[in-house]
Amino acid sequence: MNVMTVPLAHYIALSAVIFFIGVAGVVTRRNPLIMLMSIELMFNAANLLFAAFARAWLNNAGHIFVFLVITVAAAEAAIGLAIVVTVFRSAHTVDVDDVALLKG
Amino acid sequence: MHHVMGVDGYYPTLIALWLLPLLGAILMWAFGPQLRSLAGPLGSATIGASFVATLWLWHPATQRFLSGGVDLVGAHQTLFSWIPGFDFGLLIDPLSLLWTLIITGVGFLIHVYSIGYMDGDRAIARFFAYMNFFVFAMLTLVLSDNFAGLLVGWGLVGLASYFLIGFWFFKPSAVAAARKAFVINVVGDVGIMFAIFAIFASVHSLAFADAFAFAGSYSTPWLFVICLALFIGAAAKSAQIPLHTWLPDAMEGPTPVSALIHAATMVTAGVYLVARCAPLWSQNSDAQVLVGTIGGLTALVGAILGCAQWDIKRILAYSTMSQIGYMIMGVGVGAYEGGVAHFFTHAFFKAQLFLGSGIIIHALHDEQDVRRMGGLLKRLPFAAVAIGTGVLAISGIPGFSGFFSKDQVIYGTLAHGNPWLYALGIVTAGITAYYMCRLFFVTFLGSYRGGVDPSDLGMRHPELAGTSHAAASSGHASEETPEEHSANAEWFMIVPVAILIPFSVLIGWIMFGGENSPWAHFFAEQFPHPVLNATAISEGMTGLITFIVVLAGIGIAYLRYATANAQSNAVARLRAESVHMPAVLTNAFYFDAALDALFVRPSQALGRFFGRYLDPHVIDGAVRETVISAEWLGTLTRSFQTGLLRAYALILVFGAACFIVYYAIVAGGLH
Amino acid sequence: MIAFWILAVAMIVSAIWCVTASRPIYSVVALLGNFLMLAIMYLTLNAEFLAVIQMIVYSGAILILFLFVIALLSSGIAPFSVGPDRLPRIAYPAIALTLIALGFLTWALVRTTVATPAATANGAALGPVGTPDVFGSVGDFGTALFTTYLLPFEITALILMVAVIGVVLLAGDRAPYVATKKRAADVKREMREAILREGNQ
Repeated sequence: MNVMTVPLAHYIALSAVIFFIGVAGVVTRRNPLIMLMSIELMFNAANLLFAAFARAWLNNAGHIFVFLVITVAAAEAAIGLAIVVTVFRSAHTVDVDDVALLKG
Repeated sequence: MHHVMGVDGYYPTLIALWLLPLLGAILMWAFGPQLRSLAGPLGSATIGASFVATLWLWHPATQRFLSGGVDLVGAHQTLFSWIPGFDFGLLIDPLSLLWTLIITGVGFLIHVYSIGYMDGDRAIARFFAYMNFFVFAMLTLVLSDNFAGLLVGWGLVGLASYFLIGFWFFKPSAVAAARKAFVINVVGDVGIMFAIFAIFASVHSLAFADAFAFAGSYSTPWLFVICLALFIGAAAKSAQIPLHTWLPDAMEGPTPVSALIHAATMVTAGVYLVARCAPLWSQNSDAQVLVGTIGGLTALVGAILGCAQWDIKRILAYSTMSQIGYMIMGVGVGAYEGGVAHFFTHAFFKAQLFLGSGIIIHALHDEQDVRRMGGLLKRLPFAAVAIGTGVLAISGIPGFSGFFSKDQVIYGTLAHGNPWLYALGIVTAGITAYYMCRLFFVTFLGSYRGGVDPSDLGMRHPELAGTSHAAASSGHASEETPEEHSANAEWFMIVPVAILIPFSVLIGWIMFGGENSPWAHFFAEQFPHPVLNATAISEGMTGLITFIVVLAGIGIAYLRYATANAQSNAVARLRAESVHMPAVLTNAFYFDAALDALFVRPSQALGRFFGRYLDPHVIDGAVRETVISAEWLGTLTRSFQTGLLRAYALILVFGAACFIVYYAIVAGGLH
Repeated sequence: MIAFWILAVAMIVSAIWCVTASRPIYSVVALLGNFLMLAIMYLTLNAEFLAVIQMIVYSGAILILFLFVIALLSSGIAPFSVGPDRLPRIAYPAIALTLIALGFLTWALVRTTVATPAATANGAALGPVGTPDVFGSVGDFGTALFTTYLLPFEITALILMVAVIGVVLLAGDRAPYVATKKRAADVKREMREAILREGNQ
């Protein structure tokens, strides 16, 4: 009963795949909202990994971690969206490339 | 482990003797424009005082102190201790006493002479300052009790020579000659410095006493190297082959300079060095053979070249080179008393010859070519006496001083086992007699040829004759009329020469008597005296053979220049001789050309290479490249700052990917 | 086992669609699907409390927030513009890096075995989902949260407070920018009068 039917390696692989899909999304897309959503994907991949290890080791610290990650993700999404709203409302664009004021 | 060579003590006279000329030099450098015509008497006074001090020190310098196997001769004054192994002091023993007597005595006479000769020159104070400085430097050289002090004196003497040869610095030929002399001297300096390094490495002290105390303990090849290096220094300073080319050109300086520096004292520094290091040389026969051979060859080459010169000072310059060859040959083979004796007599008669020729040059308004002289016997009788006695002395006519000293050298080479050098010495004596008599005959006999057209005499560059003094005189504002000027000056020039004449005639007699002469007693403890084999030819016989060869030389000169026929056809004969002079002689055996091709041209080419290619392209290029690469690096770094969010994100991802790859490899088992 | 594969494929597909969708609203829908599949996967992992939290907080709050912002940025007097693509072809290095990292991870994963230490077990024992006080249930989770991990819990509260304050400061309660012709004309008139007044003195 303690042993998982699905090997832990599968969960690790799935988590990695979803994480990197999120990474590719952040780098590729120009819309700031979709970039934030890709970041949420990355958070979720990490959560999946924590939950899988918690089940494998029967240690509920993993569950606690997931909880904390979700909380932090919520806070981060809120502030990120606030920034997006502030910056892009005044710039009248939804393109990340157009706010390149840090250009050296 | 610190040995001394003289009796240690406090000798204030010695310190005064050494420092007075320096004081004179400093005063004249500082107050030259104010002193003007007082500079001459002041300069002569300091040297005169030094001479008196030297006489005062005769007794301490020759004192002997025998204690427990260590023989001390002379007086030693410790000055100060610099670092261990470098204790500076003054040593006056028979050898350095002799040199000091000549330097201060003959130097004093030449200073007095210069008051007359340089009269009217604008920079007379500078001249006497340099002369005093030279005397101080030479005294440093001979009075030091260690190699470091000797080296200091060595260098300063070269510097003084540079100052004095180039005294008339507005003449490009004088400047070039001064530079040439200095550069060749530097070559010698390198040699002597290397020898000093080697000695210090072996003995860890530079005092003469320490270096010689262990003379037998040096390994033979190392000792040969030390002696060779010392001799390179001696050869440069004493104008031995192949470092002799500076001496004829050094005649660009004023005649008193030639007399003092390039005849009596500075060029004999090499002889002093070899004589002082006698304990080293006596241990190594290879070094002795080398030094003796080079001395002998120089004597011969100098004599041959002396036969081909027409400038009176150049004849004397080559004769100096030849006579120093004799001295070096003497001290080289081990006949130390002989070599030093020849130095002693040579100082007198060579100074006399130079000063006498200076009188002639002065009287003829700076004419130096003997082809334009002639018939001066009645016009300048005193000069004739001076040069005549000098010629007799240098030729080695029995009774005159040169005979005794040259005979000692020649016999010494045979006694120490060098028959070839013996023959060389005798032959050279004959050639010496020939060209010196040639000088006398052409200059004084016949009729005056000053009015003859130069090209008729075979002169190719008449405009170079007599430019030395005239250029200096043109720079002076003469307060006196020409007649008064020469009358006052003449006494200053005549009296010193008159004092020198009896010395060069008679001083040789103190060497008469071989082992029992006063000369031998004077140097009894100074030099090593090895046991010698009996020689096939006795000393008396040697004298006779030499005299016959000398007479032959005089005879040839007489036939060529002094017969009634020769005198009446003088112009044509001189012209014929000038035109048919072999090129190898006029070019001085091509030594100058060889040194030029071997060293001067490559150095100049190297300088040009550095100036044109290395400096602008490599060194400046390196600096430019640094700037360019800094700019490029900046631009490269700047290109990362696009301001685009996605680019930054990509860089982050790249970094993360690197980490992942690294940890994957580590976890995967270090592929 | 089969459940895992179905869920996995669904998650991956929805993730890819989220990232590549042409319009943001499609991305939100795809993400919602992804979260749903993830919640079900939590259930298969005996993490029932996490599944519920995932749905309520993530899908129910964060995604709604995204929807609101999309609505905000899509509306307005003039449509928002999209400038030229300054970094075309950035997908290639991105995907290349992704594949490289994935490849190395896979290789490392294949060569190692993940330890399953039983010694670190804590909390309740394993049991079927839905039973009270089993591993991953509310009781088990709550016990851990309010005893061992009380401090992180309190700090989480602090984080949320900071987030609220930040949002209010950044984007809250400011008068919206309204460009009316009247206001500009008023300003112009006043400036002209001031200049005339000063010129006469």
